[in-house]
Amino acid sequence: MSFTLIRSAAGVALLAVLAAGCGTAATGHSAVSKPAGAAHSAAPEPAAPLGPRQSPPAPARVTASPSAPATAPSQPADSIPQGNGGDHDPDNNGGPSDGDGNI
Amino acid sequence: MTARPVRYRRYALAVLAAAAVLTIAIVAFARPGRPTPASFPSLVPAVAPASWLHLTLPDGTAVLSYPPSLQQISGDTDAVSAARLGPGGGIQLYLNATPRQGTENLAHWAAFRLALLRSDDAASAREVAAAERVKFRGGTGSCVIDAYVTRIGAHQYQEIACLVQGRQSASVIVAAAPAATWAEERPLLFQAVAAYLVR
Repeated sequence: MSFTLIRSAAGVALLAVLAAGCGTAATGHSAVSKPAGAAHSAAPEPAAPLGPRQSPPAPARVTASPSAPATAPSQPADSIPQGNGGDHDPDNNGGPSDGDGNI
Repeated sequence: MTARPVRYRRYALAVLAAAAVLTIAIVAFARPGRPTPASFPSLVPAVAPASWLHLTLPDGTAVLSYPPSLQQISGDTDAVSAARLGPGGGIQLYLNATPRQGTENLAHWAAFRLALLRSDDAASAREVAAAERVKFRGGTGSCVIDAYVTRIGAHQYQEIACLVQGRQSASVIVAAAPAATWAEERPLLFQAVAAYLVR
């Protein structure tokens, strides 16, 4: 009788440990699945992101102001050439991304 | 003689069972579920203030309005952009309008935009909020608010990007600011998005 009681207690304790372990594992997985830039702290001001216009100016109805020349950063592995590459958009120079369809 | 040890064992069993139940309850409640998606702020289409300037897409299908504190900047030949530049030439505010160029559509715009950011110029990107059937001047759109870190310079930006379907064609408007100033710049950026006119 007493041996049965001890076995039951051990079983309950084992279940509790297993349940706690599962919960901890799920928590870890959830944290990994959020790859945001939270690890980065205060953002430095983006360096001059605009490259010289090499294509004909768009026929916009407001006169364009000259943009700042861009420095050439190192070339990362990317589908679009960076470092003022590609279409010379700001987003090829560390600036905000435009609305193109991956051009 | 043996009644007392048996009673103690029963007490021990009861304590263990209670501890087990308590542990399970704590773990169950402490375990984080999926984060509740942030609600998308209301976006009411409205004409831009009279002092604002306007850029029409070269194909004539949309008009981007921007405040005088911004200036037009260069970009794709079929797109228009305006930005407020800092003293060092850095972008403090950014507006861009581009005709739809890829396979993006209203139904999966948020996923498309995030995938595009990650495959193009962002080291990481995460969705903050998204909405569909957003009303625009002359059309309806799908919008996503997201935050991303650029591969070059690890600059952190936050943006609202909308794919807007007009009567004739679709286009994309992007309004972005450095993540550090997003909260204070957001009203102006949203005003520009709300003033976006599609045809």
